[in-house]
Amino acid sequence: MADKSLTCEIITPEKPVYQGEVEMLIAPGSDGELGILPLHSPLVTTLKTGEVRLRYNGEWDYVAITGGYLEVNEDKAIVLADDAEISSKIDTEKLKIEKKEIEEKIASLDHQHEEFFEATIKLEHIENKLRVAGKTKDKS
Amino acid sequence: MALIDLRRRIRSVDNTKQITKTMEMVAAAKIKRAQDRIEAARPYALTMMEVLENVGERVSVGQHPLLEVREKIEHTVVIPLSSDRGLCGAFNTNVIRRAEKLIKSESADGKRVSVFGVGRKGINYFKYTGNEFIGEKREISDKPTFQDAKEIAADLITRYTEKSVDKIVLVFNRFKSAMEQTVVEHVLLPIKKESVKGEVDELSANYIFEPSDDAVLDKLLPTYIEALIYRSLMESAASEHGSRRTAMKSATDNATEMIGHLTRSLNRARQALITQEISEIVGGAEALAD
Repeated sequence: MADKSLTCEIITPEKPVYQGEVEMLIAPGSDGELGILPLHSPLVTTLKTGEVRLRYNGEWDYVAITGGYLEVNEDKAIVLADDAEISSKIDTEKLKIEKKEIEEKIASLDHQHEEFFEATIKLEHIENKLRVAGKTKDKS
Repeated sequence: MALIDLRRRIRSVDNTKQITKTMEMVAAAKIKRAQDRIEAARPYALTMMEVLENVGERVSVGQHPLLEVREKIEHTVVIPLSSDRGLCGAFNTNVIRRAEKLIKSESADGKRVSVFGVGRKGINYFKYTGNEFIGEKREISDKPTFQDAKEIAADLITRYTEKSVDKIVLVFNRFKSAMEQTVVEHVLLPIKKESVKGEVDELSANYIFEPSDDAVLDKLLPTYIEALIYRSLMESAASEHGSRRTAMKSATDNATEMIGHLTRSLNRARQALITQEISEIVGGAEALAD
């Protein structure tokens, strides 16, 4: 195990969300998903909103992230995300209410309005979280 | 003073004391939480700085609009971070005084100076003095979120890249400890090159950048601004609670002292009254005995 794992940290401005040893990490890079295995070359990339998948002992963990960066260096992968939540900790009830509010707001706004753009982005983030929330640990 | 008046005053001071005592305890609890939040934000800030330094080493940082130092600074924006609520000692006064000094010195050089107000107290003051405003944000000083910082940053960055603003300075209370806060000025934009170009070991020179180093820098610099604003907002919030606690503690102490004084006056007055009554009775009895 020891020689075939990398340390993964997922950090948001508000708090560290995840820290642990993983065998593999798949992140949503802005030019497409990328998988990181131990002994990867040093890398910095921008991420888009999506999910980070982490494999440990054959089990997958899912973390919803909202934009950010990934730095890989010396068997350490650090994800800096604007917002991040582990799938099991996502509060779907609350998000559904928020989603409804945002959808109503979008429906009421003119497409040219600045807030319309902001609201669509927010909706995208919420939908992303809801999608990831459905995923629980599974074997592969 | 009559007994009834003294009693009334004691009761009123006691009520005030209860309020200040409660506010003191609430503020003390909030300092702890605010400190924890600053602590929780540290890993992000540190890692981001590290990434930024690595990227900065690779690209010619002078090219980026956010790093460009303009030869002629025509329009400066001052952002004083104040609180939404009062009763926090010299917290707001200190920030306002410092910001005002900065505004004066900047406009003395013939620059146009405007204010981006954060917190109700500061906004009200600078509106009253007739300063030009380019934006304001209220109801966040108590518990700022990263989203708040992002919104402020987005507005400022747009203005800066459009070149309608040439320099942006934050004025806020830096949190040293629960007892000590100092007002500092921090130039937000242009970003100092030294903060981007750091000491980099040889290993990091081999970084792969996806999609490209410029693209990463393009996204990273705004995030750096956001993180800086977020940190300042949090420090300001922690300072506000610290300042309020100190102010409320001295208010409580003063109230205790005042109650002491008043109680003594009350006892003396009551004693005098009793003495007077006794001597009247004795006097009356003696008059009858004769």
